[in-house]
Amino acid sequence: MMRDVAIIGCGITKFGHLDGKDLMDILVEASLNAIDDAGASEFDFDSVYVGNMLAGELSHQTAIASALVDRINLIPASAERIENGPASGGSAVKNGFFAVASGASDLVLVAGGEKMTGVNTGTISDLMATLNHPTAEYVHGATMPAMAALFTRLYMERYSLTERHLAMVAVKNHANGLKNPCAQLHKLCTVEDALSSAMVSDPLRLYYCCPISDGAAAVVLCPAKKAKEFTPKPVKILGFGHATDTHAFQEREDPIVLKSVKIAAQQAFKMANIKPEDIDVAELHDAFEILEIAESEDIGFFKKGEGQLAVEKGVTAIDGELPINPSGGLKARGHPVGATGVAQIVELVLQLRGEAGERQVRDAQRALACNFGGFGNNTLVHILERGN
Amino acid sequence: MQEKMMGFMCKKCGKVMYPKHERCLGCKNTEFDEVSLGDECHLITFTKLYALPRGIEMSPLTLGIVEFNNKVRAMGQIMADDPEPGMDLHPVWAKLRTIDEKEVYGFKFDSIV
Repeated sequence: MMRDVAIIGCGITKFGHLDGKDLMDILVEASLNAIDDAGASEFDFDSVYVGNMLAGELSHQTAIASALVDRINLIPASAERIENGPASGGSAVKNGFFAVASGASDLVLVAGGEKMTGVNTGTISDLMATLNHPTAEYVHGATMPAMAALFTRLYMERYSLTERHLAMVAVKNHANGLKNPCAQLHKLCTVEDALSSAMVSDPLRLYYCCPISDGAAAVVLCPAKKAKEFTPKPVKILGFGHATDTHAFQEREDPIVLKSVKIAAQQAFKMANIKPEDIDVAELHDAFEILEIAESEDIGFFKKGEGQLAVEKGVTAIDGELPINPSGGLKARGHPVGATGVAQIVELVLQLRGEAGERQVRDAQRALACNFGGFGNNTLVHILERGN
Repeated sequence: MQEKMMGFMCKKCGKVMYPKHERCLGCKNTEFDEVSLGDECHLITFTKLYALPRGIEMSPLTLGIVEFNNKVRAMGQIMADDPEPGMDLHPVWAKLRTIDEKEVYGFKFDSIV
């Protein structure tokens, strides 16, 4: 019998170019913020999970979870780094959930962080591309923008999606990011700005792609029954889903159906015993703006091929029926890969507690996060609910 | 040099796969025959990549996904000047790029003249 799990604290750093701070500095900052927020500074933690993709490659440091418990004295808590590409953060949250749900741990810290700036862009682009299939994709020159571009053109051929829709998602997420003090990009953009930005991988322009970022985020978990001892506003993890798909994108039965998203979402809704229409706010993995639309369909919010209509009608704006990415998403908040899955949860906790400031969604009760790893071959979905 | 672009046909259920898997995506069987994917395919999607990966000489790099007559698909560099979805192509053995100063060869796709 699994125990119910609550999120009792959250913390996040500024996202962007964090000059003078290394990976460990930002993981420490986010973790201490989360522990303080939970009112758990005097308590002993049982386990620590750290989502990160590229510490060894970019920061020349390994075993970073051991380093983190040392820096902030969580010794002797168990500690491990979780690597699952751009879904490392979501995987870390899932592991934290299991630790509490199983009864093995009563107090858990989940952190996620990545330090990606200060390194040659070609190096970052190449390291990210190594998550593609080595012989069927990487070797031919497939970078992440190229994968997203191939995906986008298939979408445009089949449905009424146009470049203007991608621009509209970017405009919305920039507007939301402007209201988020942690966001990397703090500037409004217009549809025309987006449509005239540099071509990265036809039909994808710069404004339809997320930036390269530093940043970290953290949450503290405990059994739901004990949550009120820490906070008057706990947030419950109602369910999660986690599924995979073929490594090579072209091998999928229908390449524009994100099967790993579909299955992970179905699992999460089943566990939470709710439906897509019960969700009040969502954070989706828009590393490329096409993905916000595709995920919103495969999760079940909108019919396949109609996600762009919701964007057109303002349904996904902060004051719409289903706000998506009120944080600014990966596009404007930034995408420090290992941090993203945790940062999505932090944003939704703030939304459910009614503490999201200018970007607060009205009366949010239930929320969904989708963290997308690989090019769609490893996806996590979490569903959260306001605890009181 | 390879003469033909090869796929892997499951000895049990007959499913043809590219790239290779150690267990069949259809039935989990572990034995395969190497089979030619054929000389003709058509383009289903493409991109012109301006942010070039290292070791690539073609600028912009045209990448695409092709589908062979047996429905098996492959990703690769497209040599045709004006790619259009639906256009007929054929695999050609050529240098793809250099990785760590080593030349890497494989199949690209060119128009049928």
